[in-house]
Amino acid sequence: MTDVHAPASVNPGAPPQTPPEGGGSATPDSPRRPSGVPQQKNLPLWRWAWRQITSMRTALVLLFLLALGAIPGSIIPQTGNDPAQVQQYFISHPALAPWLSRFGLFDVYGSPWFAAIYLLLFISLVGCVVPRTFRLVGQSRTPPPKAPRFLGRLPHSATYVSPLPPQEAVAAAASVLGGHHFRLRTNVSTGTTPSSPPGKKADAGDKTFWLSAEKGYLREAGNLLFHLSLLGILICVAVGGLFGYKADKLLVEGQSYADTPSALDDFYPGRLATGSDLAPFDITLNNFTATYITSGQNAGQPAAYNANVTYTATSGGAAKTDDLQVNHPLNVDGVKVYLIGHGFAPVFSVTDAQGKVVYDQATPFIPADTSTMLSDGVVKAPNAAPEQLGFMGVFVPTAVEGSGGTLNSAFPAAENPAVSLIGYSGNLGMDSGLPQSVYQMDTTAMTKVAAQPHLMFPGQTWKLPNGLGSITFVGYKQWVSLTATYDPGQGPALAFAALALLGILVSFVVRRRRVFVRAVAADGNRGSILTVGGLARTDASGGFEEEFARLAAELAGTEPTNQSETGA
Amino acid sequence: MGVNETLANVSSDFMIAALLIYSLAVLAFAGDFAFGRPRRAAVAVKQQTRIAELASVGAGPAAGSAVSGGVPADGPRTTAPPPANVLPSRQASLSRAINDAGNWVRVAVALSVLGVTSHLIAVVTRGFAVHRAPWGNMYEFVTALTCVAGIFFVYVMLRYRAWSLGVFVMGAIVITLGLAETVIYTAAGPVVPALQSYWLSIHVTAMTLSTGIFFIAFVLGILYLTTDVYRARVAAGKAEPGNGLLERIPSAAQLDKLTYRTIIFGFPVWTFGVIAGAIWADEAWGHYWSWDPVETWAFITWVLYAAYLHARATGGWRGRRAHYIQIIGFASLAFNILVVQVFITGMHSYAGLG
Repeated sequence: MTDVHAPASVNPGAPPQTPPEGGGSATPDSPRRPSGVPQQKNLPLWRWAWRQITSMRTALVLLFLLALGAIPGSIIPQTGNDPAQVQQYFISHPALAPWLSRFGLFDVYGSPWFAAIYLLLFISLVGCVVPRTFRLVGQSRTPPPKAPRFLGRLPHSATYVSPLPPQEAVAAAASVLGGHHFRLRTNVSTGTTPSSPPGKKADAGDKTFWLSAEKGYLREAGNLLFHLSLLGILICVAVGGLFGYKADKLLVEGQSYADTPSALDDFYPGRLATGSDLAPFDITLNNFTATYITSGQNAGQPAAYNANVTYTATSGGAAKTDDLQVNHPLNVDGVKVYLIGHGFAPVFSVTDAQGKVVYDQATPFIPADTSTMLSDGVVKAPNAAPEQLGFMGVFVPTAVEGSGGTLNSAFPAAENPAVSLIGYSGNLGMDSGLPQSVYQMDTTAMTKVAAQPHLMFPGQTWKLPNGLGSITFVGYKQWVSLTATYDPGQGPALAFAALALLGILVSFVVRRRRVFVRAVAADGNRGSILTVGGLARTDASGGFEEEFARLAAELAGTEPTNQSETGA
Repeated sequence: MGVNETLANVSSDFMIAALLIYSLAVLAFAGDFAFGRPRRAAVAVKQQTRIAELASVGAGPAAGSAVSGGVPADGPRTTAPPPANVLPSRQASLSRAINDAGNWVRVAVALSVLGVTSHLIAVVTRGFAVHRAPWGNMYEFVTALTCVAGIFFVYVMLRYRAWSLGVFVMGAIVITLGLAETVIYTAAGPVVPALQSYWLSIHVTAMTLSTGIFFIAFVLGILYLTTDVYRARVAAGKAEPGNGLLERIPSAAQLDKLTYRTIIFGFPVWTFGVIAGAIWADEAWGHYWSWDPVETWAFITWVLYAAYLHARATGGWRGRRAHYIQIIGFASLAFNILVVQVFITGMHSYAGLG
């Protein structure tokens, strides 16, 4: 159950004064505690559980579960992204769908089990990162360990001869390493660098002089910053989910709406947001244009969408106009309004059997194929008498005859618009009390007025058989769907994401390393032999050997300058 | 803005040329394995110590450069292991190393560099031909990411003298690029309004770069597992030693280090790409994260590479297990590109393969 195996050569019980590279449970790269070393046998259950949950192995398993748990949401339709598809799924898989629903698989990322995974992961993260933060603060206050006796055994070492006596040679080395911002500890009094406790000085005369230098605390700091920033992002996401909202509105050319819950098609408030939090603007869609590539291989591909809108930020305020485009949202009252979709809204006029106009408006049709803009929709005239009238229709912007005589669209722009309608008479079932979608029609209590669909071009009128009335295809307008979103968490989330990136870069680039120097008197009267040892505690990214060689060369090479200084 | 057809044609020609040159490079690398002069017994060891530069044990080359840096005679005498094979400075040794490696390698390296150059020209001219970042559809994305992989590998190969990896990495690039040219070729053209944003050149660039880098790590991971399994079998007496192919490529430990370095290079780039994508999503769709299938899979990939990084710091998970994780990570990335973006409808459906 040990998470971080100490290598066999190191006694795990002893404080790893100079652990070999990558070894030892205290190295910053393997920071999580071993979860089951023997002396912890008699731990209370909660301590044991806490150790389990904060162990690296648990974190690893939770990471896998997180990846695995995210998969179904990308395959099964999600209510958050496409509620219509979820409905469709219930219709086409009547046996399976309720079960999927029971396990939250239509709303994976809001489901309790998914939340359980990431909350456990973050608990594990906190349990690991917080003690590490305190440990880092402690480490940054304590000097590096004493230089080991045999520096030649370290992964990197070099020797050089100095003309200075040992004590001065070590002091000179200290000033060089101090100049490179190493934290220092030495048994030599240098005046400029912190020395070890006074007791050490007493026996300095008969022993070798040594120097320990450590650098790279930023690595662990970056690592911690990364993990804490992830926590910050999670909190920001939660804040957005609680106080933010999303509001959808479909607008036909010429229509306007005020940003109130009753005027909206869909309003998705966060748990702590209400309709009164909506910004007070209103928006009118003046016109919408979609341009398409007309020739070549990419013909039919959209080139630009432009929704010209007039808006007032507060009721009674000055009206402004704006061209709303994809990638160019409108910023109003701290809320962003986006152009999300578009379509055609054929205009119909329906007269009933008594000659009364019972329907006269643009009817948004939903694109069934965005590449040709073949769209479908329904026209419902509940006020028609004596029987209610309803029509199921297909709108095509550029009518062509498809295979088998079906109506098809050749191009997404309205070059030759046409509709094909199937007429119904009877009871629309709108009095049943159940809310009905304006895009769907319940034909169970209705009968077809004609066997065949009826094809119409703008301006044409279809006189329904048996004197039921008539319908005129007046023309068409276009509609856009707008989404207004407000998310107070997104700015801070971005800031935390940037911090996380900064943290991980720092932790990958910086390495924690120690350099030790020991000096012994040379055989002659003056001068000394110095051994330099180097150890990168976390050098998985490599490159320490080069830095060590540079430092060693500098230590050896800068001696003469120091000598002249001391000589003067 | 229309398409500059002349430049588009130049781009296509250079892309085909790159593919041909890469194929020849693979042949030359393979030829080195088959017919290269039998210098290996002695040289291979030396070569591997050069690669062992990345194993951070040999202070050799660095110490060498320190000496050439003008340190007086009483300068540092390194006692670092391995004391033998003290190499001359890197600049001097690169050309010598290529010479040492023989004619096949010389030809293969030259072809690789030429192929990458041609590939880069093809990508850049495509960008000028369509007046935007040349990764607006699946075909362009794959050609760009293989270009990144090619450049990155040539660097790794020259830096670590890893000729022996050429046949595998270049081979994988040739297959990927060849499939792109034959299966998903898309003529130069403008992109849909949703992609008309400067974020295309930020988000998709980061994703292309990191995918190219992870691609290299993936190939290295496969090599690692092959080598590691083979050496374990030899050690257990289940396989004959002396498999020429596997004896020549760097040791499992070296491949492991190289993979790790590749991934810690790719991971922040991927992270940045996901963040940039979130900013763009907020700009285009109104929410920075909406669990669109492609977003979800980018997240899954991120989590898996994060798991790899944690596994490397966890006892019992280093080595093979860690490599399995990063290979699954790349598989999720490939699944995202090849399956999710093509077959699953979402807001990222821009592959242009309809």
